[in-house]
Amino acid sequence: MIEVLVLLIAPLLAGGLSLVIHRSALLHAINLTSMSLLVVAEIMITRTVLRDGPFTALGQLVYLDALSAFILFIIGAVGLACSLYMRSYMDEQVARGVIAPGRLNLFFFLFHMFLLAMVIATVANSVGVQWVAIEATTLTTTFLIAFWRRRESLEAGWKYLILCSVGISLALFGVVLTYYSSLHVLGDVSEALNVTQLLPVADRLNPHVLKLAFIFILVGYGTKVGLVPMHSWLPDAYTEAPAPVAAMLAGVLEIVAVYAILRMRMIVDHAVSPAFTGGLLALLGFASFVTAAFFILIQHNYKRLFAYSSIEHMGIAMIGFGIGGPLGTFGGLFHLLNHAFAKSMAFFAAGNIHRRFHTVEIGQVQGLAIAQPWTAMALMIAGLALSALPPFAPFVSEVQVVTALVTQGVPGQWLTNSGAMVTLALSDQFSSLGLTGLFLLCAVLAFSGLLYRITGMVWGTPPEGIVRGETWTLGHLPVVVLAAALVGFGFFLPQSIRELLEQATQILLLH
Amino acid sequence: MQISSHIGSQLVDLCSALLLLTCFAIVAQRRLSACVDLFALQSAFLVLTAALVAFLTGNHHIYIAAGLTGLIKVIIIPRVLKKVIERLNVKRELVMNVNVPAGLLICGALVMLAFFITQPIIPLGFLLTRDSLAIALAIVLIGFFTMIARQKAVSQLVGFLVMENGLFLGATAATYGMPLIVELGVFFDVLIAVLIAGIYTNRLQDAFDSVDTSHLTVLKE
Repeated sequence: MIEVLVLLIAPLLAGGLSLVIHRSALLHAINLTSMSLLVVAEIMITRTVLRDGPFTALGQLVYLDALSAFILFIIGAVGLACSLYMRSYMDEQVARGVIAPGRLNLFFFLFHMFLLAMVIATVANSVGVQWVAIEATTLTTTFLIAFWRRRESLEAGWKYLILCSVGISLALFGVVLTYYSSLHVLGDVSEALNVTQLLPVADRLNPHVLKLAFIFILVGYGTKVGLVPMHSWLPDAYTEAPAPVAAMLAGVLEIVAVYAILRMRMIVDHAVSPAFTGGLLALLGFASFVTAAFFILIQHNYKRLFAYSSIEHMGIAMIGFGIGGPLGTFGGLFHLLNHAFAKSMAFFAAGNIHRRFHTVEIGQVQGLAIAQPWTAMALMIAGLALSALPPFAPFVSEVQVVTALVTQGVPGQWLTNSGAMVTLALSDQFSSLGLTGLFLLCAVLAFSGLLYRITGMVWGTPPEGIVRGETWTLGHLPVVVLAAALVGFGFFLPQSIRELLEQATQILLLH
Repeated sequence: MQISSHIGSQLVDLCSALLLLTCFAIVAQRRLSACVDLFALQSAFLVLTAALVAFLTGNHHIYIAAGLTGLIKVIIIPRVLKKVIERLNVKRELVMNVNVPAGLLICGALVMLAFFITQPIIPLGFLLTRDSLAIALAIVLIGFFTMIARQKAVSQLVGFLVMENGLFLGATAATYGMPLIVELGVFFDVLIAVLIAGIYTNRLQDAFDSVDTSHLTVLKE
């Protein structure tokens, strides 16, 4: 159980140390050590889970299965990439005087607390503790988003704090309702919110209460994922946040929130049919996908472009989970992983561009291939991957989701006024084809919008006064590794990751 | 026994109703500091409800939650908010997107909606606190509405806190309290959220010379 302790203590200790240490090199060293420990602990946990199946630790407080191990893997991989990237990024900001050296402490402290909150949200056995941790992610990241303290960043941070806190409050009502239903089966025990206690008795829980609970939880955590129509904070926050923070928000936080929804769904599906939860997920998924695809077309700010692309990809993953079945679920999970890698890479590139060009306007950035060849390559690869072109991995996962859509259609089961269940005939041939057509149309829109903007930035000649050439720094290492993974995963998924994904799919499908 | 439980149930209903009533008062109140006072009063009713439930059911851990509510929501948070208001020198009149009579009507509709939504699941509840779940949802919805209807940062915060009170009422009344670890975590989160929001209002004031969130329109498409 030592690995579980490491998972929790490493960020806590690193956060505490960050407050008292002032030398920037030491802060980075602590950060990298803590992240590496986290990754090692996650690899050990993954091996245990793959070998022995789910387990609990620390006296029922922690529950780990293939699904949470998979999410931990994303947290570790993207977190480590961010830590490496921050080494050069933050130092340059301090050198340029954008950040007072004293505030570097605060940055690292909040960063570690943010990581800790996400780890707790992933490993918590109790859905109540998970809620507390997800609200804690809001509280730790709001100042990270507003870190530059400009008017715009304060606005973005405030919007994020208020909208997400309210959304999360609605999710708490869902948790209360879940407890309400479990009390009747489990009795008044303090473990009545634990996944390990809820899952075995889930089919005896009251379906009416659970349906209501799921709707509240979906809206609540959906705000955090940035699903339309609860997405209005997201483009602002991603634009104003420092690049590594934006990468963490897009690459990890969204996925932890999706995980919280999926966890709840596992319980609800036992009592209610998967068609109910699936229909809701697919509905929000399509709303996000379609809206984001159109907004991508009109963006003139490259960070906002990536923000809307995040909404788009989360929509695709949600459609995958909504359709369900082995293919849809596997595709959804795989898409989460691909999105985490591609989007964090895109934000690393965006951070590099902003440092050189000092603008977020796409029209003012030209000739990236000459000014910053490494960054241009990273931007191109991230852009191609995010447009889901072959041979990149997102292409594979998107094809899986589309295939599931064509073969299975979207489930739809809704509650009518009289309380009777009506199963909409959305799964028939015609509507399934219509939805597939809509999906492909939006995919093409997003693809052309994204690629048009990005090629405009990469080619051409750089404006006057822009330094040409790019020296290799430690910050380029994660970009190269992520790019390799994005291409590699498209052809060949490493044995352990494949197994992890398959087992996580099994867990989500077990009804 | 029958009679005492009946009276107990009536008392809990009465307290929950008082909570709902203060919600309406907050919606109708134009002065910001009075809103904060009303929030403190509502929290006091919440303490009373929680203590009553703890006494009637013999669940002693609810006393802890009641005590924490008293400390955090009746004393600390109103003080923090008063300090913020003092420093900001906020004008008397609140800026509202919806006028008071219309706001009250909408809140009435929200209460009906809450009762309608919870109707199928209320018979499952404990006899003592059966109707409180509907009232709790009504308070959450009214808090939500207050956040939309008001523009000043502090009054949005009050709306958020009203939502939290509704949630806590739901947790106490419908389920006789959540597991202690969850309850403590929720208190911690709310307290930190208010402190952070307090810091924000200061910075917003410095940056925009106003806490009117309608000025927060730099970021848009």
